[in-house]
Amino acid sequence: MAKLSLMFEEKTVKEVPVGSRPVSIGRSPDNDLPVDNLAVSNYHARVYFEGGRLVVEDLDSLNGTFVNDLRVERATLHDGDSIWIGKHHIKVDASGDAPVPWDTGRKASAPRINETMVLDTKARRDMLQQAAATGERVQFAAGRLKVPTLIVIGGRTDQKEYMLTNKLTVIGKSAMATVKVKGWFKPPMAAQINQRDDGYYIGPGDKMPLVNGAPITGPVRLNDGDLIEVSGVRMNFIFRE
Amino acid sequence: MRIVSGGVTDVGRVRTNNEDCFRIVESLNLFVLSDGMGGEAHGEVASALAVETIVKCCMDAQSDPAATDLGPSEPTWSEKTKRLTNAVHLANKSIYEAAETNPEQHGMGATVTTAWIDGSKLSIAHVGDSRAYLLRSGNLQQLTSDHSLVAEQVRRGILTAAEAEESEMQSVLLRALGALPDIEVDTDQHILFARDILMLCCDGLTRMVTEPEIAGTLQAETDPTRAAEKLIALANERGGVDNITVIVVRVGAESRGWFSWLFGGARNKAARNGAAGGS
Repeated sequence: MAKLSLMFEEKTVKEVPVGSRPVSIGRSPDNDLPVDNLAVSNYHARVYFEGGRLVVEDLDSLNGTFVNDLRVERATLHDGDSIWIGKHHIKVDASGDAPVPWDTGRKASAPRINETMVLDTKARRDMLQQAAATGERVQFAAGRLKVPTLIVIGGRTDQKEYMLTNKLTVIGKSAMATVKVKGWFKPPMAAQINQRDDGYYIGPGDKMPLVNGAPITGPVRLNDGDLIEVSGVRMNFIFRE
Repeated sequence: MRIVSGGVTDVGRVRTNNEDCFRIVESLNLFVLSDGMGGEAHGEVASALAVETIVKCCMDAQSDPAATDLGPSEPTWSEKTKRLTNAVHLANKSIYEAAETNPEQHGMGATVTTAWIDGSKLSIAHVGDSRAYLLRSGNLQQLTSDHSLVAEQVRRGILTAAEAEESEMQSVLLRALGALPDIEVDTDQHILFARDILMLCCDGLTRMVTEPEIAGTLQAETDPTRAAEKLIALANERGGVDNITVIVVRVGAESRGWFSWLFGGARNKAARNGAAGGS
């Protein structure tokens, strides 16, 4: 069984075995391996077995976790490695276990930079969950789906209301436009509304649209209730539940 | 729609082999780009297999219209969209099966981004972190979503876009061809307008070159192949850490109305006269 030895300078302070449960490391006394030092975060790191490998994972600590000399977020441990946390280090003794090969292609727990890899479904779920647990700005999909809608309040168009269901919406005279503008001398593509990861953006086409009365030169993110004016058409952009 | 296209692939400045693969089938207006992964030369095998399978499946659409439905489809999809999506499912199967049969190829995979233009209709099918962009009236819009861990974290609000660019996890994909026997394919349909510019590229470009630079180059360089070359040169100047592949597709005027015919004719006549006068 693998063993972790907490060292301060050359003295062993405490030894713990690593079993099926993760070993937690941190300043808080309820850790399996408490480290009494101000440079150590309350819950600093943990060590556990995953797929036959001993893994150390930094828990978003302030001063970081180092394996030998390298700062890591997550790394596979080998017999004889040292984990540095503040001024303390933890010696890894995995001599009793089957040796872990240094280089394996697919199951490496820490991906090498620049080498593309694919996460299998389980690893992907775990990683996203982990990321979600540490993220502060997590937003989960709202209970009700909000549909972005254009409501025509002035000018001549083929409909009075348009639900924006496509990623690309074109406002213009073209037969292919989503919002078909009627009348003489209207441009085929007056303006465009595009869906991006963080919202809906209006951009110029052959005309420069006004949003809430101000002309736009580049893509501008639309907010609920914005007034859009282009080519003689006035519309409200709203999110409808 | 008059379509002019060009594509270029480059090994970059760091790697010794090129795992990217692309194909332009002018007769069909079909564009396929794939970025392979996997040790040794297996990334190259995977991307080539993806491109070959997709092109063959789309070319056979005429002679063998009975498509095997490999994945879910929507009632709004055109025949071409269905075919293209099926072709991507088929490519996934081919790579997965090849990797199962040849143990040394185990773990190989590929991204794929494909576009098929039929008149003014554009069908897109996509898996992985290669991208399709549309430049319309100076506005560059990414048409595909990256199936990478960092992109997913940005979508969930865990990372900001700036943090994602710095992340060491950029190479971790959530979806790729060949990883699992079944795969979810992103499919989309759009309407193209005259003067639209479509670009397909792998992450070797987008990690080195910013979107404003891409938009600027596509606008400044009207020849598709030269635009692709310029973008690749820019990525190489920045270090070219990965293989770089770019396909540029320019959409011309749909048809010429009497107005443009009249003036275009006059302009041509003036040009001819000018040439005659000069000689």
